[in-house]
Amino acid sequence: MKKTFLMLVLLVCVTALAMGQAVTLKLFFYSPELIDQYNDMAKQYLAETGVTLDMTVLQNDYVTVLRAKLNSGDIPDVFMSSAYADNDTYKDYAYDLTNEDFMKKLEPTALTGVTVNGKVTGYPFLVQSHSFIYNKKIFAEAGITALPRTIKEYEAVCQKLQAKGIQPFATGFKEWWVLPQTAWQVLAPIKDSYSGDYAKFVDRLNSGSLKFANIKEMSNVFDVLDLIKKYGGPKPLESDFNDQCSLLATGKAAMIHQGNWAEDSIRKTTPNIDIGFLLGPTGNAADKAGIMFDSNQTIRVAKDGKNLKAALAWLKWLTTSEYGKKWIPDKIKQLSPIMGAKASTAELAQATVALLAKKTPSYSWYYQRFPNGTEQGLGIILQGYCAGQTNRQQTLDALDADYTKIVNASK
Amino acid sequence: MRGYKNKRLRRAMEFLGMTAPAVIAILVFVEIPFLMSVMYSFTRWNGLDKVPKWIGLANYRELLTADRDLALAVVFTLIFTVITVVVTNVLALLLAVILDSDIRGRNVLRAAFYIPNIISLIIIGYVWRFIFSRGFDSFSALTHIGLFQLSWLGDGKLAFLSVVLVSVWQSIGFYMVIYIAGLQTVPREQLEAAVIDGAGAVGRFFRITLPLIMPSITVCVFYSLSNALKTFDVIFSLTFGGPGTATTSIALDIYRTAFSDNRFGYGTAKSVILFLLILTVTVFQLTGFKRREVEA
Repeated sequence: MKKTFLMLVLLVCVTALAMGQAVTLKLFFYSPELIDQYNDMAKQYLAETGVTLDMTVLQNDYVTVLRAKLNSGDIPDVFMSSAYADNDTYKDYAYDLTNEDFMKKLEPTALTGVTVNGKVTGYPFLVQSHSFIYNKKIFAEAGITALPRTIKEYEAVCQKLQAKGIQPFATGFKEWWVLPQTAWQVLAPIKDSYSGDYAKFVDRLNSGSLKFANIKEMSNVFDVLDLIKKYGGPKPLESDFNDQCSLLATGKAAMIHQGNWAEDSIRKTTPNIDIGFLLGPTGNAADKAGIMFDSNQTIRVAKDGKNLKAALAWLKWLTTSEYGKKWIPDKIKQLSPIMGAKASTAELAQATVALLAKKTPSYSWYYQRFPNGTEQGLGIILQGYCAGQTNRQQTLDALDADYTKIVNASK
Repeated sequence: MRGYKNKRLRRAMEFLGMTAPAVIAILVFVEIPFLMSVMYSFTRWNGLDKVPKWIGLANYRELLTADRDLALAVVFTLIFTVITVVVTNVLALLLAVILDSDIRGRNVLRAAFYIPNIISLIIIGYVWRFIFSRGFDSFSALTHIGLFQLSWLGDGKLAFLSVVLVSVWQSIGFYMVIYIAGLQTVPREQLEAAVIDGAGAVGRFFRITLPLIMPSITVCVFYSLSNALKTFDVIFSLTFGGPGTATTSIALDIYRTAFSDNRFGYGTAKSVILFLLILTVTVFQLTGFKRREVEA
C-alpha cells in the first residue's frame, strides 16, 4: 500500500517536472483561412523538435486583442501585424531581427516593408498580390477576349456580362477593408508625381500640405467605385468576403476585387475553377493598370517574450528547414519571401509571377504607410460614399478630416 | 447609558460586517474602475505607450465642439431610443394583456415570445444578418414580394428599421413578463365594480388597470431606456454601424474611437459623457413616472 502510494507520488512529480521542462511557444496569428496550414506546421515542428506551438488565431478583433495582450503583460512570443506603419506602432515590442543569420535567406524586396533606418523589426510572412480576380470560363462564354485595363474598357465588359444575365461584380462593400484595397489601387500611379517614392507622398499627407480634396486623381477612385456598385447586383452593400468568394466560385459573379489569399476559399467551393488576375484600372491610361504586389503580413518576435530564444529558433526552422521552405508554396499555396523558394502551384500565385515576368506595373501596398488607425476610418467613409450618404466633395472632406484627426492624435 | 451606546455600536459593526463583502465587491469591480476611467478621460493614450499623457480638458473640448461623428451618433441613438422604447413597451403591454386573458395555449405563447430574450444579442445579430440577406433572397425568389428584394442592411434608412426590428423582437419578451406580473396584481374587485358601473373594456383598461400597473411601467421604461441608450451588440453584429455610419450608436462610436482609431483617452471621455446622458435621462424619467404611481 505504502509502496504504491510512494510510486504514484513519484510519478506525479516526474510528470510535473517533465511538463515544466517542455517549451511551449505562444503564437498569436490572424488569417483564420490558414488554420489548417498553421496546425499542420505545428504538428511537424512538434515532431521534429519537441516544442509545442500554442496558437491563437483571430481575424476581426485581432488588433484589439493584441493590444490588450501587450498591455496586460500576457505577451505572446510571436505575433503578426502589417508592415510599413506598423513598424512604428510596435517598435517598443518587436525584437530587432537585423543581425539574425536566417534573415539573409529572404528576398531583399520582401524586406522593404519591415526595414526602418536599416533595422529590420519584422519577418515577412507572405508575399501577396491583389487586384480584380476574374472567372476565365465566364469571360470566355461571354465572348470577352481582350482583358480590360481602363475604366471605359471595364464598363464595356460589364455591359457584355450583364447582357448575358451574369452579375459582373460581387462588391464586398460590406467589409470595411475591401473598400480601401480597391480604392487605393486606383490611386497607385500617384507615385509618379513624387519621383516614384510613396514615402514622399505619405509625408506630404501627414504634414497636412497635401489633402485628398486636392488630389485630382481621386475622381478616378470614385469612378471605379461607382462602376463596381452599378454592376454589383441588387444589394451591393450587403456583399461581404464570403459572398464574394462564393459568388465567384459558383459562377454567379464574374469579377471580385480580392487577393491571392482568397483562392483557397474559392477553390474549396469549386475545386477546378479557372481564375486569373485582371489589371486594376487607374483611369484611362491602359499602361498604368497593374496589380498590387507586396509583402505586408509580417511576423514579429516579442522583445519581452519569455521564450525569445525558442521563438528565434522556430523562425530559423521556418526559413531553413525542408518543411519550412515548402510550407508557403505547397501548403499555404501563396508566394514565399524566401530566396529561391519554389513557385507555388496556386493559380493566382502563378498568374502573379507570370505578370511580373511580363513587366506588368506592380505597385507596393503604399497605403499601409498611412498612419495607424486610419485604415478602418477611411474604409468606413468610402463605404458611406458607396451607400450614397455623402457626395464626392463631402467624402473627400471627411477623408481629410479623419486623416488629420488621427495624425494629430498621435502627436 | 453606556450600555445603550455599546449596543448601538455593536449593531452598527454587525451591519457593516454583513454588508462588507457586497460593498467591497462593488467598490473593487464597479466604483474604482469607474473612477479610474474618469482619470483616463483626461489623458491621451494609444493603447501601446507605457505611460498615458495628461492633457486636461482637451478631450472634452474636442468632443463637444469638433466631433461630427459623435454628433451623428447621438442623434441616431436618441431617435433609436425613443422609437424602440415606445414600440417595445406598447407591444409588450399589448401582448401581456392578451396573454393574461384566458386564451388557449397561452403558456406556450408566453414561452415563445420570451425565448428570443434568452439568446445572446450577438448571435441574434448574426442570425438576422443571414435572414436579411440570404433568407430574404430566397423568399423573394419564391414569392416575388417586393419587400424581400429591398436591401434591408445595405440602405441607410432600411438598415435603421432593421436594427429597430431586431432590437424590439429580442427584448419584447422580457417586458411582457414584467407586465403580466403587474397585471396580475390588479385587484379583481375593482374591475368587477367597474363592470357593474357600466365601464367598457377600454375604459376599464385606461382608468383602472393602467394607473395600477404604473410601477411596472416605470420599471420597464427605465430598463428599456437605459438599454436603448447603450445599444451596441445588436448593431455590431447586424450592420457594424453601417452602411458607412448610418446605424452607428454612441456606444459603437466609442468602440471605434478606442479600438480602431486607437484613442483610448478620448474614447473614455466619450463614455463618461454617455454615462452622464443616461443618468440625466433616467433620473428625469423615474421622477416623472413615480409621481403618477397610484396605490390601489
